[in-house]
Amino acid sequence: MFKEFFSSFASPSSLHKAGVLGMNCRNYKFISKYNNRRLYPLVDDKVQTKTLAAKYGITTPGLIGVIEHQYQVKDLLHIIGNAKDFVIKPAHGSGGKGVLVIKSFTPDRFVKASGDTLTFNEVYQHISNVLSGLYSLGGQYDVAVIEELVHFSNIFKDYSYQGIPDVRVIVYKGYPAMAMMRLATKASGGRANLHQGAVGVGLDISGGHALKAVMNNLPLTNHPDTGAELSRIQVPHWREHLIIGAKAYEMTGLGYLGADIVLDADKGPMMLELNARPGLAIQIANGKGIGGVLKRIEHYYPKDLSPEERVDFVLSFGKK
Amino acid sequence: MLKKFFTVRCILTFLLLLSSAFAGYSIYYKIKYWGFGFTPKQVSDVWTIEAHVSFMPTGDPIKVSLTTPAENNNFKILEQDVIAEGYKTKKITGETNRLVLTSPAKQGKQDIYYRVMLFDNQDAKGKTKAPAPQAPKQPYFDDQTMATAKKILKAARNMPGNEVQQLINLFNQPTPDANVLAFLPLQKNAKDTIEAIRSLLALKNIPSRTSRGIKLAENKKAFSADLMLEAYTDGKWRTYNPADASIGVPSDFILFQRGGSSLLDVEGGEDSVVKFSVIKSVTSSISLAGKRASIAKQKTMFDYSIYNLPVVEQNTLKWLMIFPLGILVIVLIRNVIGLTTMGTFTPMLLSMALIKTGFGSGLLCFAMIIAIGLLLRAVLSKLNLLLVPRISAVVIFVILIMQAFTIIGYKLKLDLVSAAAFFPIIIMAWIIERASITWEEDGPVNAGKQVFNSLVAAIVTYFIISSETIRHIMFAFNELNLVILFIVMLLGTYTGYRLTELKRFSPIAERK
Repeated sequence: MFKEFFSSFASPSSLHKAGVLGMNCRNYKFISKYNNRRLYPLVDDKVQTKTLAAKYGITTPGLIGVIEHQYQVKDLLHIIGNAKDFVIKPAHGSGGKGVLVIKSFTPDRFVKASGDTLTFNEVYQHISNVLSGLYSLGGQYDVAVIEELVHFSNIFKDYSYQGIPDVRVIVYKGYPAMAMMRLATKASGGRANLHQGAVGVGLDISGGHALKAVMNNLPLTNHPDTGAELSRIQVPHWREHLIIGAKAYEMTGLGYLGADIVLDADKGPMMLELNARPGLAIQIANGKGIGGVLKRIEHYYPKDLSPEERVDFVLSFGKK
Repeated sequence: MLKKFFTVRCILTFLLLLSSAFAGYSIYYKIKYWGFGFTPKQVSDVWTIEAHVSFMPTGDPIKVSLTTPAENNNFKILEQDVIAEGYKTKKITGETNRLVLTSPAKQGKQDIYYRVMLFDNQDAKGKTKAPAPQAPKQPYFDDQTMATAKKILKAARNMPGNEVQQLINLFNQPTPDANVLAFLPLQKNAKDTIEAIRSLLALKNIPSRTSRGIKLAENKKAFSADLMLEAYTDGKWRTYNPADASIGVPSDFILFQRGGSSLLDVEGGEDSVVKFSVIKSVTSSISLAGKRASIAKQKTMFDYSIYNLPVVEQNTLKWLMIFPLGILVIVLIRNVIGLTTMGTFTPMLLSMALIKTGFGSGLLCFAMIIAIGLLLRAVLSKLNLLLVPRISAVVIFVILIMQAFTIIGYKLKLDLVSAAAFFPIIIMAWIIERASITWEEDGPVNAGKQVFNSLVAAIVTYFIISSETIRHIMFAFNELNLVILFIVMLLGTYTGYRLTELKRFSPIAERK
């Protein structure tokens, strides 16, 4: 029994050989080195991210309105106007906390993505919680961002339970380094966070096709709820996905970032949010460490290229 | 190349070594000069011996010479002073220390007080050396006495112990030997017995001497000096207790005077009497440290240390001084082991609370408060309150739960639950709030896991900082905190894997 327990641990040297990046190493050698704290507000505040993204020609979900003060909450219906659906997010939220997706609504009945309905009071309460900082990093007062719902492409319809599947790209010094697709499951409650039980599908960085899929750290071949074969995933508009990630480097100045990109049926890939401290689970989804590619980018990839040139450089590896 | 040499890690390593060296020296210094130890010996005994010399002047110039105690293996002199009005005092140090008081002729009964404060000597563990004495002068006995003496020596051979002990034992028999009775004067006292034994030892060519001292006992008032017999056998002086023939100076005995010279000499006075009284007081080791430092002439450094502060402040600092160690444990748990806890220092504060509440009862209390708190919080979440008022309500809940526990615990005489009041209220409320939100968002398993992790971290920290010895060491040798500081900073540059990551990333490890 003990032997089994110990064999579930890998030796540090075997992880090192596989190029696995650990949390301490990520924080010390990448985040604290390349991500200036001064730049964090650009990605931590979704309102700022949105305005900045527009400046750099990156599409983001359309902004319906911002609720900054408690007294504005009662005007919610007025702010929403004639939008048919919307999403409420805390501007300083992280990891999908406090995100409320409303598929359709009447003045007193709001239908969530899951199909559950909420009363106006419950939505009011949710926004109040957002404003009081319940979901924000550090618990400071926050604002609620109301944006258009992404009508995600039907291509991935079978691959996700409720929530929107998104593509996470790790961008190091402007070069897309590793990517994965996150698929919500019943177990994850419709959310796309791996630690909550979502499926992570490692994507080939130069082609956008599935490499490997994991759920709760275990490999799998089919989506647990829909049964769709995960290895068949091929993300369309892959170059555009990567360009969004690459541009985020110029946009924020962050040397090591994670870009979350969703595919809208009409508007193509759009940036959902950026993360200055992207998680390490992407390595498990890809079945390999990120250390190797980070080292190659650091030492061998050309510098002073435009975002498009960098993406084409990365894509060129797939063509050989 | 040079740049690489001065990396943060190098500088920190250097500082760590430097601080370790400093701590090492400082610990040595404190042990040597201040009498600190690694074990938490809380108190030292301080003995105050007062010698009261009284005599009637004869009209001639007065010279009083009193033997004063010499520092020995067991005791060290803290303070000594003399109250003798109109006398000139002079201290003579030598084989035996003497206090000499001189004065022109005086009238009326004279009272001189000599007071000495002693504390158990942790510093000088040296051995007292003595030169080999000359062969003793043979006593002059008449034939009859000589015959008796020989009979006694013969009878002594049947007694237990070595030659000296045999004699003492023989004299101490409940129904003394007829020869012994004949040998001693009719009105015998302890001094006579010792004199008799000494003359018998002289017959056997064993050098001996009488020494005087005080047996330390609490609140001993007005008594005369106790006598000890010392005999030179096998190349060294040994002290024998004439009462039970045991060898060695009893640990509670302070020798005033050894051998030859008398305890008290008074010139120009008669009917001189010296009486002693002993008072024992208890003082904390650390409060004695200043005295020790001044004895060792190392006072300046001590003046700026925390041990010079009033006891209340010292106790507060004693608590503070354990924090860095707790912090180190938390850093290890989070960055090297990789356990995620609720709030960075929550586990440490919990472990501090556990120390005050006691382990078992503390855990029970913690579990009950969290359970009841979560229950109430679940009810509260139905009311849809705003964040700050809601957390405030949880805080008040926690206070009320603690109050209820304390009252119930007192009424039912259950120490278990009355410990509740020691938990940091805000921390408890925050744990409840976070656990409840995690519960809602990530499910009860994740919430339970986080509370469990925090508790594990708290228990580990508890077992490290609950040790009385460790607490004592961290306070007495507080420069260790500097070492901890640099260890923590060096851990800030640790880029290796966390223990939990070895498991987390094991699916992608390179297998051979």
